[in-house]
Amino acid sequence: MEGCIVLIITRISRFVSNFQNLVALFAGACIIISLAGILSLPLGFEEQQLYPKTDLDPASGLYPYDRGGVPFGTTEVVAQYPENSPYAGYVTAYLTPLSQYLADHTHYLGTTIVAHPGGIVDEILYNTRGLDTVVETSILFAAFAIASYLFRREAE
Amino acid sequence: MPEIGGSDLFVLEFGDILHYYTPYTTTLFVLALIFTALAILSRPEGQVDIAFGGDAYYAKETAVSEMRFRRFMTIACGLATMGAMGSGDIFNFTLFASLVGITNVGIVAAVKSRHVLDAAYEYGIVAMVATLPLFGGAALILATTGTLSIPALAAGASAVPLIGKALLALGVIGEGMAPFYAAKAEMFRAPGAPYVIMCSLSSLLIFLRVVEIAITI
Amino acid sequence: MIPDYSIGLLVAFAAAGTAFFALMRETDGLHRLLLTDLVEVVTLAFIALVGTDLAEALILPGLVVGVSELIALSEIYRVKEGYVRPPAAGLQIEVMESAPGILAAILVVYGIILSGFSGGAVAGLGVIFYFLSRSHNERFELIETASGYSWVLWIVAFFVFMLLPQHWFFAVMLAGAAILVKVMAKMSLIGTMRGGPNA
Repeated sequence: MEGCIVLIITRISRFVSNFQNLVALFAGACIIISLAGILSLPLGFEEQQLYPKTDLDPASGLYPYDRGGVPFGTTEVVAQYPENSPYAGYVTAYLTPLSQYLADHTHYLGTTIVAHPGGIVDEILYNTRGLDTVVETSILFAAFAIASYLFRREAE
Repeated sequence: MPEIGGSDLFVLEFGDILHYYTPYTTTLFVLALIFTALAILSRPEGQVDIAFGGDAYYAKETAVSEMRFRRFMTIACGLATMGAMGSGDIFNFTLFASLVGITNVGIVAAVKSRHVLDAAYEYGIVAMVATLPLFGGAALILATTGTLSIPALAAGASAVPLIGKALLALGVIGEGMAPFYAAKAEMFRAPGAPYVIMCSLSSLLIFLRVVEIAITI
Repeated sequence: MIPDYSIGLLVAFAAAGTAFFALMRETDGLHRLLLTDLVEVVTLAFIALVGTDLAEALILPGLVVGVSELIALSEIYRVKEGYVRPPAAGLQIEVMESAPGILAAILVVYGIILSGFSGGAVAGLGVIFYFLSRSHNERFELIETASGYSWVLWIVAFFVFMLLPQHWFFAVMLAGAAILVKVMAKMSLIGTMRGGPNA
């Protein structure tokens, strides 16, 4: 009995220790979790979300990123800890002069508004959840450091 | 809410993202800090291969630039681990865990050994696909509870589904391979012991942290 | 009736299972690297299912993490397989040899006016265009330095938001300008980094 258990453990650890099996093993675990996920459905969707997409106005030049508010004034933003970001909402309402002109005269700025300085996505990425952006770019930085070190070394 | 970490010692506020330090997470944080300091101060060893059945041996050559790069990656890994220890936001924690994963690959990526590189590559692929359970778990928790903040989740406004916690735990296991160290053993054949130790320590620490998160929320 | 979110989750979980099944069956290193894209797409689907502005903001980190790990891993793959010979000639497109360089300048200027992320993409396109139509020496250290400093400026902008929130406008402009340079520098590397001499 004891020998049998030892044999099983030996077999398992031998399989696990071969790194060629590593991806297959992890993928297998993920398949099991995916099946468990399907079995755990349906899951309820919480209606009280942070930064919800509400009050969409298709007629607005900024659709679907129009969150209202006056530039250089406060705008209502459903943040997790509003007391930590006293100027939350200022970035949401701000448009550069060019963006303001395009928003006034065309209906298509909404498709590019995320890209300009200002807007709700910048508000979240830079202001209220800025630390996410810092860590994200650090990941990119580390990956670039690895890639460029290997690239450079070959060139030498 | 079971308070396994103890009450907060202090809280750092970054807008919507809080970093909180309980006695549990502070211990892990200090451990990461000490090991990062050791990795900065210590000098890597020189590996010697002994030919089997004879007196011959030869020292493996390790370039200074290679060691400098690997020390940089080790420090980055230590900083990422310290960040993950204090993070009070689920998504922020998953990002720190991904940073630990990629710096772990970076620590051994500079080694000029085919065998180590093979292992690092396989491990890197696992770390890469582990972002699905990591971010998927965080997104699932956000959708079903409406918040990502761990203190808010711990206050128990709404129940976190078990599948969300399971995804999160699986993702962290994939990023660090803890506690399945046998899978990472081949990577540890790389020279530069202080740096390689950081690989296993960081993955152990993020695993201990995700256990705390899964029990707390 | 089953709510929409659960239907979306069903599809996402099924897609995740399929992607991981493919990954489990595949044994070739390069094909595994390609299959990770299947997994990354499902990751984004999980985040997108939340459907709020926050989810939209979280997709960006999710995407960047996948892409950056792909960069590092493909370079490791290249080194471990020993592919050191640089590819021969670049693209041989006849029309590019006579294309006016002013187009590149227009794209760059327009990108700078746009600023921010898409401004960087437009300006980066202009730089690629220039590299494709003109022969160039590889001066990537310059681009890397510019990219590195703009990264630092971006982080500074974040700390301005945290510590001096009353200067939010300065922080937004700093971030918008820094990411312009950053994205432009990164995009200009596409297809141009061919392992030539570093002039």
